[in-house]
Amino acid sequence: MFLILKYISKLLKALASEASPGQIAGGFILGMIIGLTPLMSLHNLVIVILIIILKVNFGMAILSFLIFSGIAYLADPVFHNFGIWLLEKESLQAIWTSMYDNEFWAITKFYNTVVLGSFLIALILCIPMFPLTRVGVVQYRKHIHERVMKTKAMKWLKGTKLYTVYNTYQKVRG
Amino acid sequence: MRIKGLIFVAVIIGLVFLASWISVDSYLESEIEYQASLANGALVEIDGLELSLVDLKVRWDRLQITNPENTWENSFETGEAELDFLFWPALWERVIIEDIIFKDFRFDSERETDGYFEIPVNEDGEQAEPGFLTTIISDITSEVSANAETKFLDIKADVNVDSLLAILNLQAPNKIDSLKNGLEQKYSKWDSTFTNTDINQEIAGIKKTIDAINIKNIKAVDKVVASIKNVEKLTKQVDSLRTKAQTIRNDFQEDFGDARFSVGRIDNWIRNDYDRALKLAKLPTIDAQNIAQTLFGQELFSDYAGYLEYAAIAREYSSRLTGGEDEEKIARYEGKDYKFSDKYDWPRLWIQNIDISGETKTAIQLAGKITNISSNQSKTKEPIKFDLGGADDGNRSVKVTGEFNYLGEDPKENIRFEYAGFNLAGTKLSPSELLPYELVEGTGQIAAEVNIIDRRIDSRIDYKNQGLQFDFGENPSQGRVQRLIRDAVSSADQINVTALVDNVDGPLKIRIRSNIDDLFVNALKSTVSKEVDQARARIENEVQQRIGDRKEELLAFKDEKEAEIRQEYDKLEAKVNEQLKLVEQKKEELEKRKKEIEEELKKKAADALKKRIGF
Repeated sequence: MFLILKYISKLLKALASEASPGQIAGGFILGMIIGLTPLMSLHNLVIVILIIILKVNFGMAILSFLIFSGIAYLADPVFHNFGIWLLEKESLQAIWTSMYDNEFWAITKFYNTVVLGSFLIALILCIPMFPLTRVGVVQYRKHIHERVMKTKAMKWLKGTKLYTVYNTYQKVRG
Repeated sequence: MRIKGLIFVAVIIGLVFLASWISVDSYLESEIEYQASLANGALVEIDGLELSLVDLKVRWDRLQITNPENTWENSFETGEAELDFLFWPALWERVIIEDIIFKDFRFDSERETDGYFEIPVNEDGEQAEPGFLTTIISDITSEVSANAETKFLDIKADVNVDSLLAILNLQAPNKIDSLKNGLEQKYSKWDSTFTNTDINQEIAGIKKTIDAINIKNIKAVDKVVASIKNVEKLTKQVDSLRTKAQTIRNDFQEDFGDARFSVGRIDNWIRNDYDRALKLAKLPTIDAQNIAQTLFGQELFSDYAGYLEYAAIAREYSSRLTGGEDEEKIARYEGKDYKFSDKYDWPRLWIQNIDISGETKTAIQLAGKITNISSNQSKTKEPIKFDLGGADDGNRSVKVTGEFNYLGEDPKENIRFEYAGFNLAGTKLSPSELLPYELVEGTGQIAAEVNIIDRRIDSRIDYKNQGLQFDFGENPSQGRVQRLIRDAVSSADQINVTALVDNVDGPLKIRIRSNIDDLFVNALKSTVSKEVDQARARIENEVQQRIGDRKEELLAFKDEKEAEIRQEYDKLEAKVNEQLKLVEQKKEELEKRKKEIEEELKKKAADALKKRIGF
């Protein structure tokens, strides 16, 4: 609970002004890739390392991962069909075979319809989602943030004992 | 770039390596010991196991496999051993070991501690059904031990058959009744399978769909194409129905095979009852076969049961491991894996080569190799083969070769064992009271071969003893039988025994013959009266009467039910084939209709063109 509060608080601060829109958008698309693709995949280990070492927003990556994990459940049949289409495409057979026969590429499991389909769709989605998220953050700061902070939910959240304890802890910690 | 993030990742990687380095060895050791002990039925201990993830090596100081029959003894143990496993298969949770060298391999070594291992009760509490080979072992063991206890020197012909059978409690009738109950359940399962199968409903659905396609009413090409696609789907559906039906046939044929095997044992049960009655009456069958079994059966078959147990273990593990291979589990929508080559078609476990050197309990230096132990032979395309042998300075030699082959439809095991040149001085050839004399000198040679294909077993043991000289003692018994036997064996300087165990022509047969049987038979026949034969006949009649017509009734019931089931299946198969024919026919008609419509359209187009250009 404490951890969740920590990330909600950080996310709200980041959305307000702390982080640059690019950092937030970066966290968003990286979290989206993990969320859309099967979790236990090699490429997700690389993405997690990228989230840790790049200056992207961590809270946004988690939020994005949670949202897109839910979407992925519904979209898996689409990923599967896209994967089938790619893996059965005659002109790509040589590429798939050489990737399959290479042990490194084989452990990425790109020979699986859902892994390949979801990963490529996630990559394609990154192209519009990155600038859209950046614009979204700027617009949020301009028009929505104030209103969100005044909502009953936020007031309730700020009024909880746990949030107060967390805030005090943050202040003490400096 | 976050410097803190980079450090964090580096620390995590370091911690993972550290944790695996510290804890994997002990965890792996205890896990392997536990799983192997479960499989062995007695303790398996590994000392000093080390796993190196960097070099991909596993080594240990000592491995002990306790003998489940005697937990103060190891079936075998090895000294230091080191093996390399392949890296990439390990990422696919496959263990592929190219080479293992077992030095200081010792059979039947003594243990310092008790190797008893308490096997936890299964959660479902169900006992596994004994396998075919286990049944064979139990049949042989019970027959041989029954014969070994036969008394030839204390025969009484005066028998009260009624009181004898009252004490005896015949087992064959109950066994036949319980077999009949089992078969009834099995056959009723098949009755309900045929009644409840959804194949009939699917056939009705297919028929309805075919009937609904009215070819004459189809006027457009796209509708014909759509109908052809529908029919193609129906073809696939019928194909899957045919596969379903074939699966049913395979299953009931397997059940019929089991039933045939069980029914084949009825004669053995009846004979066992009869033999027990004779034994209780102390009326042995005085023939060469019985004499040979009494003399040499127990000695010969105790080793023989050991060979069969190895085959039984191999077969059980082969089926158990193969069954669990690549089980599909679907958590989230997992998609489909495409195979672009068979490069990763590894079994879960594959030990390609084991080089063994050590010594037997009788101190013969032994060396050889075992190749291709795997969890799935269809993937390695290689059977398990073993070839071990050795000799000592005293001309003793031992050789064990064989193959466990599970590549084909029927599992096959072949084991050959030879042990020659062993000294018989100071030993007895037989534990029987008929031949209680120790040997002063003599050498022995034993050769055994066991061939098992599915449920057919064919095996032979040859036991040759040469240069024999018996020690009859200073005051040997002066009984008439004993005297006759002494005279007979004192003139024989070699005794050859051949044992045959097979079920090639039907129920299991165990036959033993030796070159001295007739000598014993003559000695015994001349000392017992005809009354024994009469008493035996009385007992046999009574046993047969009490068992009654159960066997014939059961056989008739089995044949009748199996014929019924076959008939039901034939009906089902005919229905499926009929649907297939209908679907094919409809497809042909649709193709024809498509051509007709296309021709009509072409003609119309040509006419329209002609009109336009004024022809």
